[in-house]
Amino acid sequence: MWGYVRLELTRSMRDGGYVIFAIVMPVVMYLVFTNLGLAPGDRHDAAIYTMVSMAAYGALGGAFNNGSGIAEDRAAGWLRQLRLTPLTPAQVVAGKVVTGAVAVVPSIAAVLLAGVLVNHVTLPPQRWLAIVALLWAGTVPFSLLGLGNGYRLSGQSAAMANIATMLTLSILGGLWVPVENFPSWLRAIAEWTPSNSYAGLSWRIAFGDVPSLRQVVLLSAWLLVFGVYAVYGYRRAGRRA
Amino acid sequence: MTTKTADAVSLTSATKRFGPVRAVDGLTLAIPRGQTVALLGPNGAGKSTTIALLLGLLPPDSGRAALFGLDPEQAVRQGLAGAMPQEGGLIPRVTVRELLTFVSGTYAAPLPLDRVLALARIEDLRDRRVDRLSGGQAQRVRFAMAVCGDPDLIVLDEPTAALDVTARREFWSGMRGLAGQGMTILFSTHYLDEADEHADRVVVLGHGRVIADGTSAEVKRAAALTTVSVTADGESAWLATLPGVRHMEIRGGRVHLRSGDSDATVMALARAGAVRDLEVVPAGLEDAFVALTAKENA
Repeated sequence: MWGYVRLELTRSMRDGGYVIFAIVMPVVMYLVFTNLGLAPGDRHDAAIYTMVSMAAYGALGGAFNNGSGIAEDRAAGWLRQLRLTPLTPAQVVAGKVVTGAVAVVPSIAAVLLAGVLVNHVTLPPQRWLAIVALLWAGTVPFSLLGLGNGYRLSGQSAAMANIATMLTLSILGGLWVPVENFPSWLRAIAEWTPSNSYAGLSWRIAFGDVPSLRQVVLLSAWLLVFGVYAVYGYRRAGRRA
Repeated sequence: MTTKTADAVSLTSATKRFGPVRAVDGLTLAIPRGQTVALLGPNGAGKSTTIALLLGLLPPDSGRAALFGLDPEQAVRQGLAGAMPQEGGLIPRVTVRELLTFVSGTYAAPLPLDRVLALARIEDLRDRRVDRLSGGQAQRVRFAMAVCGDPDLIVLDEPTAALDVTARREFWSGMRGLAGQGMTILFSTHYLDEADEHADRVVVLGHGRVIADGTSAEVKRAAALTTVSVTADGESAWLATLPGVRHMEIRGGRVHLRSGDSDATVMALARAGAVRDLEVVPAGLEDAFVALTAKENA
């Protein structure tokens, strides 16, 4: 299974879509937003707030890209080829999940590093730790949604659906522009999105608060919904394989 | 049965339906170890479905499939079988070496990479990206994926369908090396010369059933397709009653006898003193195939 993870990560790093959407764009947008004075409030606070936003945005890109890969693999007959090796289906699925979990790390790390090195963000060590852990673990619902799309849809449409979902969730969740700047009706919608809860956990930690119960419950509920969706997609894909 | 003695491949009354179509219809087939077997049939004969059943990619609706006496999936897990599906299996953004290293790594006792590259004749492609190969090159890489685990059985679904003549020849020269090592090989094809040339045994499929099974000579005999012809004058209807003769045709003073046993037919002709301008023309498998499927349809 580790051989599979290594192969998949090698492929991801050579995937222009992944590198651009999940690593380069978030870092560039972060530096642009924070250094052109587009982010609200105090400069250091803005650097922290936007750092979390863009790390979350990049992680979403990585998580969804992994799901698109599944559709591509199925179209290429790769999933069937894997069934003809000694790997078990469980190992294949686990390998893909681990790949997804690893693939979001460079996105998060790149933006946080840009925060430290370029924008001189300073935070107490335990906050750094909590932010990294939450940004990382919080990608699971999005990975599942991406995998669900990947199993359910064909190659091209899965990739399109995942990019569209990723952008919608990023913008609507307040990762590009804080929801405080939204009109009130849009803000009401935004506060129900999984992406807003996801980034919200780390925003609060970054500024010394504890995550709200609402955010935790909401993200867990979405985790459940997307988990069911991924299982449904996998079963459907299995019947057609 | 233990895995030591069981047949490499065994299908017992296997049936698979897709909606109203019986793709595989009560098919029974046993392949002992070490044989090279061609599965021959036109499109829609059930070749790919048969292969999917015996590899455990599809469950049979009824009947049983086994490899080395094991459930097919189990045999694949144990690395006993390697397979090359009709298409696909190559992923973008990896090199040939990376791909084969990964696939080999899933087996307990794979062949050394250099040996695999040599067998598939892709030594010069090892650092090439898989998505930048020609059709023939890609096919050889797919073949390498099927053999790199050093399986006891290798199953190839129309391995040369997409290849030109040169690429086909190169492909089969790699295969010969494997058959020499006692590997059991099952390949499907609709190139009849390939079955004739490369298989110990030819299994002809039509409508999901075995309609002939034997050496290519036996299959031709079963189809009664050796043509014995002589020049005849006068009354010649009696020729149709000679041993082995299944069908007679008279064209331009020549009598053409389709025979299932050309030796017996010729001997009888000689005894009757009717040998004049004798010609014995063995049928190609192609003719045999047409005759067999026609018989099946009748």
